[in-house]
Amino acid sequence: MEIIEKQEKDIRIFKLSGRLDSKTSLGFEEKIIGAIDDGSVKITVDFEELDYISSAGLRVLNKAAKRLRQNQGKIMLCCLKDYVREVFEIAGFDTFLPIVATLDEALQGF
Amino acid sequence: MTVERIEFELKNDPAELDRLAEQLEEFGQRFSMERRCIFEMNLAVDELFTNIISYGFPDDKDHIVRVVLESDGHTVTITVEDDGAPFNPLTAKEPDLDMPLEETPVGGLGIHLCKNMMDNLKYCRCESKNVVTLTKKLDPKKT
Repeated sequence: MEIIEKQEKDIRIFKLSGRLDSKTSLGFEEKIIGAIDDGSVKITVDFEELDYISSAGLRVLNKAAKRLRQNQGKIMLCCLKDYVREVFEIAGFDTFLPIVATLDEALQGF
Repeated sequence: MTVERIEFELKNDPAELDRLAEQLEEFGQRFSMERRCIFEMNLAVDELFTNIISYGFPDDKDHIVRVVLESDGHTVTITVEDDGAPFNPLTAKEPDLDMPLEETPVGGLGIHLCKNMMDNLKYCRCESKNVVTLTKKLDPKKT
Protein backbone atom coordinates (compact mmCIF):
# COMPACT_ATOMS: atom_id res chain seq x y z
CA MET A 1 0.00 0.00 0.00
CA GLU A 2 1.11 3.52 -0.75
CA ILE A 3 0.31 6.48 1.49
CA ILE A 4 0.83 10.01 0.23
CA GLU A 5 0.57 12.78 2.84
CA LYS A 6 -0.36 16.30 1.86
CA GLN A 7 -1.14 19.44 3.78
CA GLU A 8 -3.84 21.81 2.51
CA LYS A 9 -3.89 24.86 4.81
CA ASP A 10 -4.70 23.35 8.22
CA ILE A 11 -5.99 20.06 6.81
CA ARG A 12 -3.82 16.96 6.65
CA ILE A 13 -4.69 14.71 3.70
CA PHE A 14 -3.81 11.01 3.50
CA LYS A 15 -4.18 9.61 0.01
CA LEU A 16 -4.23 5.81 0.16
CA SER A 17 -3.65 3.45 -2.74
CA GLY A 18 -3.67 -0.32 -2.92
CA ARG A 19 -4.84 -2.53 -0.08
CA LEU A 20 -5.53 -1.66 3.55
CA ASP A 21 -5.55 -4.98 5.40
CA SER A 22 -4.01 -6.58 8.49
CA LYS A 23 -0.62 -6.60 6.76
CA THR A 24 -0.57 -2.91 5.85
CA SER A 25 -2.80 -1.31 8.50
CA LEU A 26 -0.02 -0.86 11.05
CA GLY A 27 1.95 1.43 8.72
CA PHE A 28 -1.12 3.60 8.16
CA GLU A 29 -1.91 3.60 11.87
CA GLU A 30 1.55 4.91 12.70
CA LYS A 31 1.21 7.74 10.18
CA ILE A 32 -2.31 8.90 11.01
CA ILE A 33 -2.02 8.57 14.80
CA GLY A 34 1.40 10.22 14.56
CA ALA A 35 -0.15 13.20 12.74
CA ILE A 36 -2.88 13.52 15.38
CA ASP A 37 -0.37 13.32 18.20
CA ASP A 38 1.65 16.01 16.43
CA GLY A 39 -1.37 18.32 16.62
CA SER A 40 -3.40 17.75 13.43
CA VAL A 41 -7.10 18.14 14.23
CA LYS A 42 -8.49 18.22 10.67
CA ILE A 43 -7.81 15.03 8.74
CA THR A 44 -9.05 13.86 5.35
CA VAL A 45 -8.52 10.35 4.02
CA ASP A 46 -8.78 10.09 0.24
CA PHE A 47 -9.82 6.58 -0.84
CA GLU A 48 -9.85 7.18 -4.59
CA GLU A 49 -6.98 4.77 -5.30
CA LEU A 50 -7.80 2.33 -2.52
CA ASP A 51 -8.94 -1.03 -3.90
CA TYR A 52 -9.45 -2.97 -0.70
CA ILE A 53 -10.19 -2.57 3.00
CA SER A 54 -10.70 -5.12 5.77
CA SER A 55 -11.70 -4.81 9.43
CA ALA A 56 -8.03 -4.10 10.25
CA GLY A 57 -8.29 -0.89 8.21
CA LEU A 58 -11.61 0.04 9.81
CA ARG A 59 -10.02 -0.30 13.24
CA VAL A 60 -7.32 2.22 12.38
CA LEU A 61 -9.96 4.75 11.25
CA ASN A 62 -11.98 4.07 14.39
CA LYS A 63 -8.92 4.68 16.56
CA ALA A 64 -8.07 7.89 14.68
CA ALA A 65 -11.68 9.15 14.97
CA LYS A 66 -11.72 8.47 18.71
CA ARG A 67 -8.44 10.28 19.27
CA LEU A 68 -9.54 13.23 17.12
CA ARG A 69 -12.72 13.53 19.16
CA GLN A 70 -10.69 13.80 22.34
CA ASN A 71 -8.79 16.66 20.67
CA GLN A 72 -11.98 18.35 19.36
CA GLY A 73 -10.85 17.35 15.87
CA LYS A 74 -12.62 15.81 12.90
CA ILE A 75 -12.00 13.23 10.18
CA MET A 76 -13.56 13.23 6.69
CA LEU A 77 -13.41 10.34 4.22
CA CYS A 78 -13.85 10.81 0.48
CA CYS A 79 -13.88 9.12 -2.94
CA LEU A 80 -14.75 5.60 -1.78
CA LYS A 81 -15.46 2.90 -4.37
CA ASP A 82 -19.02 1.63 -3.89
CA TYR A 83 -17.96 -1.77 -2.58
CA VAL A 84 -15.46 -0.16 -0.17
CA ARG A 85 -18.20 2.15 1.10
CA GLU A 86 -20.43 -0.88 1.63
CA VAL A 87 -17.92 -2.30 4.12
CA PHE A 88 -18.30 0.88 6.21
CA GLU A 89 -22.07 0.52 6.04
CA ILE A 90 -22.12 -3.16 7.01
CA ALA A 91 -19.79 -2.40 9.93
CA GLY A 92 -21.97 0.54 10.97
CA PHE A 93 -18.96 2.85 10.71
CA ASP A 94 -20.74 5.23 8.32
CA THR A 95 -22.79 6.42 11.31
CA PHE A 96 -19.82 8.15 12.93
CA LEU A 97 -17.33 8.58 10.07
CA PRO A 98 -18.42 11.33 7.63
CA ILE A 99 -18.16 10.01 4.06
CA VAL A 100 -18.42 12.35 1.06
CA ALA A 101 -18.09 11.89 -2.70
CA THR A 102 -15.27 14.27 -3.59
CA LEU A 103 -12.07 15.66 -2.08
CA ASP A 104 -13.46 19.21 -2.42
CA GLU A 105 -16.49 18.30 -0.34
CA ALA A 106 -14.22 16.75 2.26
CA LEU A 107 -12.06 19.86 2.49
CA GLN A 108 -15.15 22.05 2.84
CA GLY A 109 -16.57 19.78 5.52
CA PHE A 110 -14.54 21.17 8.41
CA MET B 1 -20.06 -24.52 -17.64
CA THR B 2 -17.27 -26.71 -16.35
CA VAL B 3 -16.40 -26.86 -12.69
CA GLU B 4 -13.19 -25.11 -11.75
CA ARG B 5 -11.25 -25.86 -8.61
CA ILE B 6 -8.17 -24.23 -7.08
CA GLU B 7 -6.53 -25.46 -3.93
CA PHE B 8 -3.66 -23.74 -2.14
CA GLU B 9 -1.97 -23.53 1.23
CA LEU B 10 -1.15 -20.37 3.16
CA LYS B 11 1.37 -20.08 5.96
CA ASN B 12 0.30 -18.39 9.21
CA ASP B 13 1.84 -15.09 8.14
CA PRO B 14 -0.05 -11.86 7.28
CA ALA B 15 2.20 -11.49 4.20
CA GLU B 16 0.23 -14.41 2.72
CA LEU B 17 -2.75 -12.06 2.28
CA ASP B 18 -1.17 -10.91 -1.00
CA ARG B 19 -1.03 -14.46 -2.30
CA LEU B 20 -4.62 -15.03 -1.21
CA ALA B 21 -5.69 -11.93 -3.16
CA GLU B 22 -3.77 -13.10 -6.26
CA GLN B 23 -5.37 -16.54 -6.15
CA LEU B 24 -8.87 -15.10 -5.77
CA GLU B 25 -8.21 -12.63 -8.57
CA GLU B 26 -7.10 -15.42 -10.90
CA PHE B 27 -10.07 -17.58 -9.91
CA GLY B 28 -12.50 -14.69 -10.39
CA GLN B 29 -11.08 -13.93 -13.84
CA ARG B 30 -11.77 -17.48 -14.99
CA PHE B 31 -15.46 -16.82 -14.45
CA SER B 32 -15.29 -13.17 -15.55
CA MET B 33 -16.58 -12.17 -12.12
CA GLU B 34 -17.10 -8.49 -11.53
CA ARG B 35 -14.74 -6.57 -9.27
CA ARG B 36 -17.25 -6.31 -6.44
CA CYS B 37 -17.68 -10.07 -6.30
CA ILE B 38 -13.92 -10.73 -6.16
CA PHE B 39 -13.65 -8.05 -3.46
CA GLU B 40 -16.39 -9.66 -1.36
CA MET B 41 -14.87 -13.14 -1.60
CA ASN B 42 -11.47 -11.68 -0.73
CA LEU B 43 -12.81 -9.86 2.32
CA ALA B 44 -14.65 -12.94 3.59
CA VAL B 45 -11.58 -15.20 3.38
CA ASP B 46 -9.22 -12.47 4.61
CA GLU B 47 -11.25 -11.99 7.80
CA LEU B 48 -11.33 -15.73 8.49
CA PHE B 49 -7.62 -16.13 7.73
CA THR B 50 -6.60 -13.09 9.80
CA ASN B 51 -8.68 -14.39 12.69
CA ILE B 52 -7.13 -17.85 12.46
CA ILE B 53 -3.54 -16.64 12.40
CA SER B 54 -4.17 -14.05 15.14
CA TYR B 55 -5.91 -16.32 17.66
CA GLY B 56 -5.79 -19.91 16.40
CA PHE B 57 -2.14 -20.76 16.95
CA PRO B 58 -0.93 -19.80 20.43
CA ASP B 59 2.17 -22.03 20.06
CA ASP B 60 4.03 -19.62 17.72
CA LYS B 61 4.94 -22.50 15.40
CA ASP B 62 4.48 -22.65 11.63
CA HIS B 63 1.02 -23.73 10.54
CA ILE B 64 -0.81 -24.18 7.27
CA VAL B 65 -4.24 -22.84 6.37
CA ARG B 66 -5.69 -24.70 3.40
CA VAL B 67 -8.05 -22.92 1.03
CA VAL B 68 -10.15 -24.52 -1.70
CA LEU B 69 -12.06 -22.44 -4.26
CA GLU B 70 -14.69 -24.18 -6.37
CA SER B 71 -17.30 -22.94 -8.80
CA ASP B 72 -19.61 -24.18 -11.53
CA GLY B 73 -20.31 -20.65 -12.73
CA HIS B 74 -23.49 -20.35 -10.65
CA THR B 75 -22.23 -20.74 -7.09
CA VAL B 76 -18.81 -20.31 -5.49
CA THR B 77 -17.83 -22.56 -2.61
CA ILE B 78 -14.81 -21.65 -0.51
CA THR B 79 -13.42 -24.00 2.10
CA VAL B 80 -10.94 -22.77 4.72
CA GLU B 81 -9.30 -25.40 6.89
CA ASP B 82 -6.86 -25.00 9.80
CA ASP B 83 -5.51 -27.14 12.63
CA GLY B 84 -5.70 -24.34 15.20
CA ALA B 85 -7.74 -23.95 18.38
CA PRO B 86 -11.43 -24.78 17.92
CA PHE B 87 -13.27 -21.68 16.76
CA ASN B 88 -16.81 -21.59 15.46
CA PRO B 89 -17.45 -18.30 13.64
CA LEU B 90 -21.20 -18.95 13.79
CA THR B 91 -21.20 -18.57 17.55
CA ALA B 92 -18.79 -15.59 17.61
CA LYS B 93 -20.32 -12.60 19.34
CA GLU B 94 -21.78 -10.09 16.89
CA PRO B 95 -20.68 -6.51 17.43
CA ASP B 96 -23.33 -4.10 18.69
CA LEU B 97 -23.43 -1.63 15.82
CA ASP B 98 -25.57 0.82 17.78
CA MET B 99 -22.98 1.35 20.47
CA PRO B 100 -21.46 4.80 20.82
CA LEU B 101 -18.15 5.39 19.09
CA GLU B 102 -16.04 5.23 22.22
CA GLU B 103 -17.37 1.77 23.03
CA THR B 104 -17.20 0.19 19.60
CA PRO B 105 -15.68 -3.21 20.24
CA VAL B 106 -12.79 -4.48 18.13
CA GLY B 107 -13.63 -8.18 18.31
CA GLY B 108 -16.34 -9.78 16.21
CA LEU B 109 -16.23 -7.19 13.46
CA GLY B 110 -14.22 -9.30 11.02
CA ILE B 111 -16.55 -12.28 11.33
CA HIS B 112 -19.55 -9.96 10.99
CA LEU B 113 -18.11 -8.70 7.68
CA CYS B 114 -17.28 -12.24 6.54
CA LYS B 115 -20.87 -13.43 7.06
CA ASN B 116 -22.26 -10.41 5.23
CA MET B 117 -20.03 -10.89 2.19
CA MET B 118 -21.28 -14.42 1.56
CA ASP B 119 -24.68 -16.10 1.31
CA ASN B 120 -23.95 -18.96 3.65
CA LEU B 121 -21.36 -20.02 6.22
CA LYS B 122 -21.02 -23.51 7.67
CA TYR B 123 -18.66 -24.66 10.38
CA CYS B 124 -17.43 -28.13 11.27
CA ARG B 125 -14.82 -29.30 13.74
CA CYS B 126 -13.62 -32.41 11.93
CA GLU B 127 -10.56 -34.53 12.81
CA SER B 128 -9.06 -31.81 15.03
CA LYS B 129 -9.50 -29.20 12.31
CA ASN B 130 -11.69 -26.15 11.86
CA VAL B 131 -13.44 -26.40 8.51
CA VAL B 132 -15.40 -23.35 7.38
CA THR B 133 -17.39 -23.58 4.16
CA LEU B 134 -18.56 -20.36 2.56
CA THR B 135 -20.93 -20.20 -0.38
CA LYS B 136 -21.95 -17.35 -2.62
CA LYS B 137 -24.36 -17.27 -5.52
CA LEU B 138 -23.08 -15.58 -8.63
CA ASP B 139 -25.39 -13.13 -10.33
CA PRO B 140 -25.66 -14.40 -13.92
CA LYS B 141 -26.32 -10.89 -15.21
CA LYS B 142 -23.24 -9.45 -13.63
CA THR B 143 -20.65 -12.21 -14.09
